[in-house]
Formats: sequence, structure tokens, C-alpha cells
Amino acid sequence: MATITTRATAAVPVTGTRPPLWRRIPIGLLFVLPFLLFYAAFLIWPTLSAFGLSFFNESLTGTRGEPAGLRNWTEMLGDSAMWSALGNTLYFTLLSTPPLVLVGLVMALLTNRVMPLRWLWRLSFFMPFLLPASVMALIWIWIYQPGFGLLNAGLTAIGLPEAGWLSDPSLAMVSVVIATLWWTAGFNFLLYLAALQQIPEHLYEAASIDGAGWWHRLWSITLPLLKRTTGLVIVLQLLASLRIFDQVYLIYNGSGGPGFSARPVLEYVYDTAFTSFRFGYASAISSFFFVLIVVVSVTQLKLFPSRREDER
Amino acid sequence: MAGVPPRAVPGGGPPRAVPDGGPPRPTRRAVLGTALALGAVPLTGCGAASATTRVRYWNLFGGGDGALMLEMQDEFRARNPGISLEAVTLAWGAPYYTKLAMAAAGGRAPDVAILHLSRLAGYAPGHLLDPFDERLLAEFGVTPGQLPSGLVERATVGGRLYALPLDTHPFVTYYNTDVARKAGLLGADGKLAPMTGPDQVIEALTRAKKVTGAYGLALDNLDVMPWRLFWALYRQQDGDIALPPGGAAGIDDAKALKALTFMGRLTAEGLATKDTDYAGAVATFAGGKAGFHWNGGWETTTFTTAGMPYNMTRLPAIFGDARTSGDSHSFVLPHQRARDPITTRATYRFITELLKSSVTWGRAGHVPAYQPVVTAPEYLALKPQSEYRDVTPDVQLDPPAWFSGSGSDFETQAASAFQSVLAGSRTPEQGLALFKSAVDKLLSTPSPV
Amino acid sequence: MTAVPTPNRAPQATARAWNIAGLAVTAVIAALWLTPLLWAVDTALKPESETTRIPVTWWADDFTFEAFRKVFTESDLVRWFLNSTVVAAGVTVLVLLTASMAAYGFSRTNFRGRRALLAVVVAGIMVPPQVLVVPLFREMLGLGLVDTYWAMILPQVAAPAMVFILKKFFDGLPRELEEAARVDGASPWRLYWQVVLPLSRPVLAAVGIFTFILTWNNFFWPFLAVSDPDLMTIPVGLATIQSSYGLRYAQIMASAVLGGLPLLVAYVFFQRDIIRSVAHTGLSGT
Repeated sequence: MATITTRATAAVPVTGTRPPLWRRIPIGLLFVLPFLLFYAAFLIWPTLSAFGLSFFNESLTGTRGEPAGLRNWTEMLGDSAMWSALGNTLYFTLLSTPPLVLVGLVMALLTNRVMPLRWLWRLSFFMPFLLPASVMALIWIWIYQPGFGLLNAGLTAIGLPEAGWLSDPSLAMVSVVIATLWWTAGFNFLLYLAALQQIPEHLYEAASIDGAGWWHRLWSITLPLLKRTTGLVIVLQLLASLRIFDQVYLIYNGSGGPGFSARPVLEYVYDTAFTSFRFGYASAISSFFFVLIVVVSVTQLKLFPSRREDER
Repeated sequence: MAGVPPRAVPGGGPPRAVPDGGPPRPTRRAVLGTALALGAVPLTGCGAASATTRVRYWNLFGGGDGALMLEMQDEFRARNPGISLEAVTLAWGAPYYTKLAMAAAGGRAPDVAILHLSRLAGYAPGHLLDPFDERLLAEFGVTPGQLPSGLVERATVGGRLYALPLDTHPFVTYYNTDVARKAGLLGADGKLAPMTGPDQVIEALTRAKKVTGAYGLALDNLDVMPWRLFWALYRQQDGDIALPPGGAAGIDDAKALKALTFMGRLTAEGLATKDTDYAGAVATFAGGKAGFHWNGGWETTTFTTAGMPYNMTRLPAIFGDARTSGDSHSFVLPHQRARDPITTRATYRFITELLKSSVTWGRAGHVPAYQPVVTAPEYLALKPQSEYRDVTPDVQLDPPAWFSGSGSDFETQAASAFQSVLAGSRTPEQGLALFKSAVDKLLSTPSPV
Repeated sequence: MTAVPTPNRAPQATARAWNIAGLAVTAVIAALWLTPLLWAVDTALKPESETTRIPVTWWADDFTFEAFRKVFTESDLVRWFLNSTVVAAGVTVLVLLTASMAAYGFSRTNFRGRRALLAVVVAGIMVPPQVLVVPLFREMLGLGLVDTYWAMILPQVAAPAMVFILKKFFDGLPRELEEAARVDGASPWRLYWQVVLPLSRPVLAAVGIFTFILTWNNFFWPFLAVSDPDLMTIPVGLATIQSSYGLRYAQIMASAVLGGLPLLVAYVFFQRDIIRSVAHTGLSGT
């Protein structure tokens, strides 16, 4: 703790004695200041302090944190539980992103086209997104029950054997993906719907004069024009999927699924910090994961430069 | 530096966004006050002026025992109108323990909470928990001498009592009396004839299997049950696990392998359910598809409701003595920055009265820890719950370490290693090696307490 | 004559076939998407004893509101609802205020370091707040704020994406009006409050609605920040507190349905605004 203090205070330069400070603050800065204070206190400071903490043996129980040097970091690199949790996070991301994007797109294409009862389709696709994660989890735990669960009842009704949706390690993450697909596809659906509605009608009219069918128009006009949106949706979805915690934690009541088969890296951080009380080690993992996410974000900025233009 | 969480802003000075000590707090009360005015939320006296004392109590009793706990709480309320008891049931398992630790670290913890005694070491007595005042306890008529000495020993850290056991809950045997009778396993008194040694147990299961046509034993293969079974079998051979911090786990390989081989045999020979989870095991036994069921004693309500003929007894002495695994629900005092003496007295009154009225608690299948209750006729009249009341001294808690105990990482790791032996996907040797490496890893992590 | 189809009809016929096929597919997906919710409502309306019946049936012998009644009387749902309202409203107001001010500063004023600061803020969009929970919790411990409303509200105010969205909108506002007001001697504060903000109602509504929904549904941080059951929000309370015992699937589903209800009701009333807000804000930020 003490080390961090010195570092932090040393970073603040002492300025000379001219007119009172607040007088010299440019008015623009005053506008920005309130936000900056929140930003510094609850985003920048925790980020830095996570890195700082990762070099200490800090714990929740109030024992003093002794300097740990690089020990947390070396422990992490050799920690198979961390790697398997990271693997689970990546597995979820790979498994969930394609269907979430595709289903969102299909929903939007259909809704944009099918005229009758539009409000109903929109409502059914989007409604789950408005539910809190806990509600979603309660509903799906119930659906996944053996015997009297709706899904297994459906399976047995068509003559298939029941599946251990929540107890089979090889299915544990799949169940989370299905529940997540249901829960958040509506968000991507709305993004696509908004993009579709911005495609000028005259493009389609020109095409239909040429006798192009719906299928042809989809491939030659709609999808190419949706490219930018698709890029953004994929990126947003990747980043959202990488942050998975809520669904797994709630569906498996903090157990990480059978044999930890569904525990994502953020839940491992949580377990380390709040059930094993090891703040220092948890901070090392968070920082590592943080770097990973930043790398992904920067890569996407390089791949999809559209956002950067906007910043000017 | 004990106990008190650091008051200063982490790192000393920054961030400057929030003045040291934080913004004024009354908003919470103001908001709830508004809610009160709306008549929507019944909020009991936060104010010092109110005549009632508020006692906040957390527990994790979500099953049939939760309903009995409610009953005991209501009786307490009726007897003590001056105390406003706010009891909260939190979801069992890791979430409960996490919340308890975080509340204690935050300094606004509940006045009293339930903790599995096996987890005491991990709760940093003195940091996250406050000790009991034994003189005050005596004033309310409870002394440690009235509680099982083994439990009291475990609850004492540095000469101070940090936990007050309410019960023990052993791993026991349920048996279907119909099946057992048809299999010729009942004695003259209509109770299960005692069996000892692995061969007799296997024989009994085989005969029960013949009767049911499905299984001899309904066993949860997942969750933490494999650990509980292993620990019982290992302790029956007087095996011990040494957990030296920073060292390697001291395990008696021969005894561990003997236990694991027996476990693997249960599923391999089709005597016990395989790849079955907790609910599945309970359903199998309740549906008459198994003659026996090994589980904690807390499922009596389920089987009684199912209307099936069953009885209970201790876990058989498979290897040597009749030790069994188990734990004890205990009252603890989560750390508070400042304990108000009036609330403390009310809290002690609550705890001691619950101990004294734990006959009700016995109905849940837990064996009351308060000895005067165990010998009371009302308790003895409880069948089948009192059938295994003499088990208390033989109940084996997890080996003490900061990482062990009910619902802990240690149990999960152990269970997942042994689960693969039950599933037949690993040999006993491989399962043991997996367990050892998991324990060694836990031992090598620096203790946070 | 009529027997011979005109060459134009064929594509029309296929178009209609496509339409019908599209409608059918849409209906199937919609049915799939509605099933879980309907099943939850259905379960909640059954008596407990009928919930675990095998084979599974949608039809109960006697439907009842018993589960809902019990949830209302025995759980703290109403209190969680109030807590959620306090937290979500608090965060929304603070976000709207601080983010719009900052956006105005970045868009309409110039000062040394403006570009660098803006870059720092935009970079923050990439920081996933979930990664910061450990140091954040420790910070709250240090401030003595654990188990207060403040602990839930304050960190959620630091939402750089919202600054970015508002700044983009302000950038696109015509400057003529401001110039006129400035000639009249209006200070930057008045320009911000009386010219720019009123012109920005739609985007403020979008940001506000989106922030409200995210905060209302946020689980992870409030779950960590608060252990006191009296302070829990709906998502946290539903996940941690148990208010019934034994067989209780109907009650669980009733509490799930009630827990999800507030935003669903809001959606029915403000459908257009919510959709616009999510589509607009969702794409530019998060």
C-alpha cells in the first residue's frame, strides 16, 4: 500500500504561485471536470491499482499485504485452473458469437420484410434482453431440469434420451450459450433492424425493376450494405462474450458448472478474490485479462477503422 | 492492526473525487424514509429511540430445514416481542460464504450468522469473525460443556470461542424398509441388521438390487458427495490428511486407495447409480429404484412426503469403525466495527434460545448439538431422526485448513477427482494422484488469513 | 386468355411464396423465443404440487395465483424494486449531467490538453468494468462505502461511451444558434444549459433510457457492492435471497416473472423510445 502511495503522489507535479488555481482553469476543463473525477476514481484508479495490487499478497481478511514481487504473476502462468477458465471464456466466445450475430441478422431481415404483426415479432425477439440476468437464469434453470424440465420433456416426447443440461460437463457451456442466445440475440436484432431501415428504398426499387428476386437483392444489396454494421456487431459481441460472468455464475449458483467445466475467467477472478480472499492474486489475473481484452479491442480498431474516424 | 478494515482511501491520497470518509450517508435512510412514507416498506426501527432491538440473522437453510428454522424464529418472536428479528435466507453454497465474508469485511455485517464449523479456519477468526463472550453465554444458561467437546475444540481458536454449534449433520444411510425386508436384510426388530466390512455391504446392496431390479444404492456421483463418501471411508480406517502450509499433503496412500477402490466397485458392478446428480439420486431412492441411499440427514421431509416406507441409520462400518463424514451448523458473530451492547444481549438471547429449542431442529434430520435436548423425550420420540443420534462423536469434519470445509474449493476439487473414479473414467490411483496435486496446489498458495 | 399466365405473374407468385415462407419462419422463431417466458408464467400459475408432474403439461388442473400472492407477501420484491429505482435513477441522472457537460466541453470549448483528455476518455470505452471489480471493491472498503447506495451508484457513473455519443451529437449541431446567443453575451454555462441541452433532447433521452436499462439490469457490481438484504436491487435480491422452502418452483417462477415485469411494462409504454435508444446508443458505444 505504502509503495503505491508514493508512486501516486510523486506523479502530481507542484506548480508555481501565480493567481489562484481555480481562476486559471479554462472553462472547458470545468465542464469536463465532474465526469473526469468519476472517471479517474472509478475507472483509471482501479485499473492502475489492479496492476499495483498484483505485486502484493493482499487479502480480504484484513491481513496486511506484503510485497510479493512477481510471485502472483509466475503463479498465474503455471496455474492450470486459470488457463482452463480462460479457455472456457474463449470457448464461450467462439461458441456464442456466430449464432448471436447470425440469429440477430436473420431476425432483422425477417422482421424488416414480413409486414403483418411487426410489433409482435419485435416484442418477442427483443423482450428477453430487457430481463435481468437473474430472471433469465431462474427461467433457464427451470427449463433445463431433468424429468420435469421443459427441454428434456420435449426430448423425451420425440423419443430422444434426456440430456444432463446442467450436470454433464460437456454440455454445461452449451446450455449457457443457448440461454445467452435467447437472452441477448434481441440486442443484435435491434442493431441490424436500425441499419436495415437506413438502407434507402430506391436501391431496392431499382433492383426490382431489373427483375431481381428477394434472394438476389439480399445478396447484392442488403448484405453488402450491412457490412459495416456486421463488423461492429461482431466486435461488440466478441467483447461482450469475453466478459461473460453473470449467466454462468447465476445458472450454476457460483459453482462454475460440473467440474468447473463452465467457469469463465471472470468467475475465477471472483472466486479467488471473494471466496479464497486473495486480492493480490485475483488482481494479477484481472490485469492479465485486461491486457488481453485491450489487445482484442485494439485489433478491432485496426480491422474496422470506422470508429476512429468518428473520434476526430 | 486486527480486524479493522483500512479506513483510509486505498493508497493513501487519491482519488480526490470523493472526500475522505465518503459522502454523507443519510441518503439511504432518507430514501427508505420516503419508501416508508409511501407505506410500501415496513422498516423496523433503525432509530435508537425505538423500543425494539433489531437482530439481523443470516442463514443458508433453503431446504426442508429452512421451514423448521422459520418455525423456530416465529416461536422466538412470540416469546420476545421486544426483539425485532430480521432473518434472511441466502442461497446455499459459495454465494452465501462470499456474501458473509464481504459483509464482515465491509463492517456492516449481520449480528449473527450460520457457518459450517469446518469453514471456521478460513474465516480468519479475529478478522472476519468476532469471538463469543462466554460469560454472557453463561448468563443465558449455555456453557460450552453442554456441547460436544469435539465441536467445541474445533470452534475454539487461540483460547476463544468463535462458533456455537447448533447441530451436527452426518452422512447417513436411508433404507427402503420394504426392499430391505424382501432382501432379508432386516433384523428381528424390523430395523436394518447391522453390517460391517466391505463384503457384507456389497452383499446387502446386491440383494437389494435384485429386489428393486435397478440399483442397490442411490448415490449422488457429482457435486461434493464423492468427497463425503471418500472422507468417511478413509476416516473409518483412521486415515489422516496432513495439510502443512507450503508443503505436500500427507496422505496415507494405501488407505486412500482402499477407499477409492471400494467406491469404484460400487458403480462398476452396477450396485450404485452412476453419473447421477443429487436430485437424480434422491429421486431414484424416492421412486423405490434403490434399497439404500447415502446422503446427509436432511432429506427426511422429501421421503416422508413421498409416502415411502423408509428408515434411517448410521453409515455402516465398512472399514473398521463407524466414523462418518459431516459438519456442524454453527452460530458465528460476523465482525462488526462497533457492537452495540443492547443488540449483543438480544443476539445472545436469540442464539441460546434457539439452542434450547432445537428439538424442532432435530426434525430436519440434524442431530442437535445442545446435549440437554438430545436426551429429552421429545427428541427421542422423533423417528427416524433420532435413530442415529449417537453418531455425533464419530462425525468427521474436513481436515482443518483455510481452504477446506463445506462448499469450499477443496471439497469441489476433491469431489471432481473422486467423481471420475465413480464414473470409471479414472483408476483409483489416477484419481488419488489428481486429488493430491489439487491439494498440493492449494497448500502452495499463500494463506490469505 | 386467362389460362395463360402473363410473364409478370411468375415472380409475383414466387414473391408471395417467399412472403409466406418468411412469415412462417418468423412465427416459428417468435414462438421459440416466447416459449421460455410463457412457460415461466404457466409454471407460476400452477399449484406447487403440479409443477413437477411427469409427463410435463402446460395445462394445470387448477390454475392459481397462490405463488404470486406468496411472493408478494413473503419476499422483499417491493423493497428490491425501490432499491433498483433509486440506483438506476441516481446513475441515470448523474450520467446525463456529467456526460453531457463533458461532451459539451469536448465539443464546444478549447483548452490545452483537450485532445489528449478526449483520447483518454475514448480509450476508456475499451475498459471492461467487470475486470475492475477487485480493486473497486477494495476502494469501496477504503471509503467505508460497502453496503451503501453510493457503492452501487458512483462507479456506474463513469461511462465514457456516453460522453462519446453525446459529443458526436453535439458536434453535429449547427453552431449558428450558439453564435447568436454568444453575441448576446451568454456565458458557456448558459449556452450549454439553454441552447445545447434543449436541442439535444432526443439523444439525451436515448442515453438516459439506455443507461437506465443497463443499470437496472446490472448484476455483477451491485452484487459485490452490497450484502445487506435491505439494499439489494431486483437482480441481486433474486439471485441471493431465498424466501420460500421445499418445493417451490411455482414461487421461483412467480418471482422471476415479477422481477422482469417492470422493464417489460415500460417497454409496452415506451416501445418506440426504447428501441431507438438501444439501437442508437448500443451501436455507438458499450
